[in-house]
Amino acid sequence: MTKLLQWLLGVSLLGIIWAVIAFDLLELSVPGTYREVAWSMPLYLLVSFGCYSLATVGYRVATFNDCDEAARELQEQIKEAKEDLRKKGLKI
Amino acid sequence: MATGADQVVGMSLVLFSLLLFSYYTVWVIVLPFVDSDHLLHRYFLPREYSVILPGIAAVVLLLCIGAFTVVVVWKNRKPKKVD
Repeated sequence: MTKLLQWLLGVSLLGIIWAVIAFDLLELSVPGTYREVAWSMPLYLLVSFGCYSLATVGYRVATFNDCDEAARELQEQIKEAKEDLRKKGLKI
Repeated sequence: MATGADQVVGMSLVLFSLLLFSYYTVWVIVLPFVDSDHLLHRYFLPREYSVILPGIAAVVLLLCIGAFTVVVVWKNRKPKKVD
C-alpha cells in the first residue's frame, strides 16, 4: 500500500471518529460539553500546529550559529557572479 | 550561537506562539468545563470568536500571499517581442 493510501486511510478513520462523536451519529449519548470540545478539535489541532511551526522557526532562528567566514565567502562569490553576468550583458 | 537581533526575534516568536497556544487551549478545551459564573470567563471572548478569529487570520494570510504573488509577477512581466 502506498504512503498516500496509508495517509488517506488514517485521515478518514480519524474523520469518521470525529464526526461520530461531534455530531452524535450513533446516538452514543456523549455528554454535551465533550461533544462541544470534540467538534472544535480539527480547528484546535490546526491552530496548535501553526503555533508549533512558528515556535520551531523562532527557536531555530535564535540558536543558529553565526558563520562569519562562510558569510564573507558568500559575499565574495556574489560579487564575482555579478561581475561575470555584467560582462555577459545582463543588467542588475 | 546567533547574536543580537536574531536571538531577540527568535525568542519573541517562541514566546508569542507559547502565549497564543496557551490562551487558545484554555479558551477551547478548559472553558467548557468551567461553571458559567466563574471569574475566568471574564478574560475570554464568547466561544463563537474562537472559530471566527482564526478564520479571519487565515483569510488575511491568503490575501497577503496573493498580493505578494501579484506584485512579483507584475514586476517581472516582459512585453512580447515582435519579430
